[in-house]
Amino acid sequence: MNNVKLSPANIVILAAGVVMLIGSFLDFYEVDGFGGSFGFNAWDSDAFFPVTFIPVLCGVAMALHVALTTFAKVQLPERVLGMGWNQIHIALGFQAAIMMIAFLIHDKGPLDIAIGFWLMLLAGIALLVGAVMREREPAAA
Amino acid sequence: MDNKQPTPGEWAIMGGGALALVASFLEFAGDTSAWGEGAFPIVTLIPLYALVMALQVALTKFANVRLPDRVLGFTWEQVHLVLGIFATVMALFWLITADDTGIGAILLLLGAAAACAGAFMLQRERTTGAIG
Repeated sequence: MNNVKLSPANIVILAAGVVMLIGSFLDFYEVDGFGGSFGFNAWDSDAFFPVTFIPVLCGVAMALHVALTTFAKVQLPERVLGMGWNQIHIALGFQAAIMMIAFLIHDKGPLDIAIGFWLMLLAGIALLVGAVMREREPAAA
Repeated sequence: MDNKQPTPGEWAIMGGGALALVASFLEFAGDTSAWGEGAFPIVTLIPLYALVMALQVALTKFANVRLPDRVLGFTWEQVHLVLGIFATVMALFWLITADDTGIGAILLLLGAAAACAGAFMLQRERTTGAIG
């Protein structure tokens, strides 16, 4: 019997990390002109890559940590730079959320927000929520 | 030993924060500063992170302000480390992506990197066990 069990917080983090990655390949910004509409994803320098890569990196790192420790039973160091994994999740989730909110607020000029951006914003906020949930969950036995 | 005398790590954090603050008002890219149209608030996060670090050190060192020992479960040394690393990464990546970067972008990176280096030095000075 498969006894792998994900906590609600880890489900949120895993799902948000996947959504963040998928969103990064969809249009982040779009612009109308030259007889059509053109889009740029988060990997395009016109959409500020590699700055837009930071929230993606945060989300993927968090999801990867959850996946590796839960499914592959990989043993990682308990602390990195003196921080426990729950703290690392909060730091990464906070950074992903704050950057996506800042991207939402900033003056985009002729650029319009596209579906990839919305997915990344949603994922960024979900990552922070998942990280806070993880901190509040009782430690696994 | 005078407890009010800042350590090298604390000097680096305060210096880096001050440099990042000054740089944020200089030309970042094109005609805009880190507070200007198109850059606020996404670029502004860099000087804000560095400023929080510098203010925490300056307030506790010189003004004897008592701050909570922990913020959201993080010690102040951990907060410095997290903010310093993210500020440096953001400043570096903006320098890579921005066209027509100005002196403000370069000084912002230097300020963030100095604050980040100070945060690492702080770990040793306060023997947090985070490094080494």
